[in-house]
Amino acid sequence: MKKELKIIISIIISIIVLILSVGVGSVYIPATDIVSVILNKLFNVSLPQSIEDSYISILWDIRMPRAFTAFFVGAALSVSGVVIQSILQNPLASSYTLGVSSGASLGAAIVITSGITSMVLGFFLLPLAGFAAGLLTVFLVIAVSEKLDQNMGNHTIILFGMVFSLFVNAILTIISAMNSEHMQRLILWQMGSFSGRRWIHVLILSICAVLGTLVIIFFVRELDIMTFGDEGAMSIGVETKKTKIILLVLATFLTGAAVCFSGIIGFVDLTIPHITRRLFGSKHKYVIPMSFVLGGAFMSFADMISRTIMAPREIPVGAITALVGAPFFAYVYFRGKRA
Amino acid sequence: MLIECKNLICGYDKNPLDNPVIKDISFSVREGESVAILGANGCGKTTLIRAICGMLPYAGNVHVDGREVRTMKRKDIAGKLSVLMQFSNVYFSYTVEETVMLGRYLYSKNIFGLPGIKDREIVNRCLNQYGLDHERDRQISQLSGGQLQRVFLARTMAQDTDIIVLDEPTNHLDIKYQSEFLTYLSDWKNEDKKHTLIGVFHDINIAIEAADKLILLKDGEILADGSKAEIISSEFLRKTFDIDVKEYMKKQYSHWI
Repeated sequence: MKKELKIIISIIISIIVLILSVGVGSVYIPATDIVSVILNKLFNVSLPQSIEDSYISILWDIRMPRAFTAFFVGAALSVSGVVIQSILQNPLASSYTLGVSSGASLGAAIVITSGITSMVLGFFLLPLAGFAAGLLTVFLVIAVSEKLDQNMGNHTIILFGMVFSLFVNAILTIISAMNSEHMQRLILWQMGSFSGRRWIHVLILSICAVLGTLVIIFFVRELDIMTFGDEGAMSIGVETKKTKIILLVLATFLTGAAVCFSGIIGFVDLTIPHITRRLFGSKHKYVIPMSFVLGGAFMSFADMISRTIMAPREIPVGAITALVGAPFFAYVYFRGKRA
Repeated sequence: MLIECKNLICGYDKNPLDNPVIKDISFSVREGESVAILGANGCGKTTLIRAICGMLPYAGNVHVDGREVRTMKRKDIAGKLSVLMQFSNVYFSYTVEETVMLGRYLYSKNIFGLPGIKDREIVNRCLNQYGLDHERDRQISQLSGGQLQRVFLARTMAQDTDIIVLDEPTNHLDIKYQSEFLTYLSDWKNEDKKHTLIGVFHDINIAIEAADKLILLKDGEILADGSKAEIISSEFLRKTFDIDVKEYMKKQYSHWI
């Protein structure tokens, strides 16, 4: 199949999934009603008589913000996963390799257990603390790797990222053990969820995800070249160290933004990049934007499953991403190899 | 002089003077020459190549076309010399054509790096020249080591520089690909009298075939340099490898004569 056709089909499927994830729930809302409500809210087009008021509220205030939060979290994590895998030349790396998740969890844990509140930040305090701590962790990893190894070799970064993650996790365990009364809230935060997300979350997250991805698109050629290793990239003319730092910061920014609004959801950042490469080839010109689209759609889909499969009970979305993602990943990844 | 190293000291510590691998060496390469640096494993060959390409901090001087390498931007260095490394792993697969096109990176002007007419022309010529014309849409992950190194050679050539730097490029290649590789190199060398080769090798026979001038490296120092004939007949070869090279070669090749 031609690449352009594959791109169009993927985008159409993603839009369908997004509409479906808004429509499906304890109350089923038909696609036509969804479109009517969207047109009404955005362009003031009058609503048909048949739509109930409660539908509008469910759709506009609950499901859509939730579905879009899931979409942008999935998109941000997938793009960041692509960047980290490519610059570290490691197919097993992911957005979390450098310790964003441990750092963010620690930040959240400190806020939860210490009972700090802020009038100005309100309910944004927790995500912001997670974001800041996640970013700080990665900056520390980058700074120390740079001190240890002037060329910032990939093994140094990965090893130090992992070691530092474990170190931060140990602190987190101690804090959790000493504050057992907060344990449940801590664990729930770490598991990740999209429930109760509002348009304000969508707005902030979408700006971060789109902006971060757009800046990364300026580096698609450097990303292509860097998958062949640092020395190869240098010899072709890439300022490897500088580019690597810029891209690591961008990827961390994306992951940080995602983690702070959703908690820690694994698997998407590891698998969507591989699935996208399998479908569209390795060129980042395609892989970056298509990971954004597919990652977003996949996360909305996973969230839909997580809140409907055992309704009214909600299953942590991280479990769904792995349960649905693992077999799908295996199918897509190994299908080509068998032939 | 096209490449000139003067009192070059370098290693892997932040300060090149701590634990140097290359210990105060000087040599030069003229335009149009082909020079092979020959030495045993661990003598500092690859380190030397990295310093010449500006990938390591160094003390002393490395001049490429009159400019000090440490003051040059990566794109400027890449415009002067292209490097072909030892065979490397491929983690993410591109097509043959995409891979060769990466060699045109430093010439791309627009931000998304869409290839221009000249880029396409040069890439097509390289694909054609190295027998990759029919393989252009194949994934490089499906290629054998020898075919892959041919793709990397085409990428190096697409960079279109007058100097090519080689770091044991024929390692892991079987004799068919080795021989083919050496032919490609000598063809390139004969294309233009500006074309200059500098490479490091541990295989004496390949070094002799690829170069007119040899430099012997031992423990980070130069033991001798000179023409092929001078070096082969000298005692220095034995010192470089700690073995009677001539006797060894005679024994190795006795079955064929």
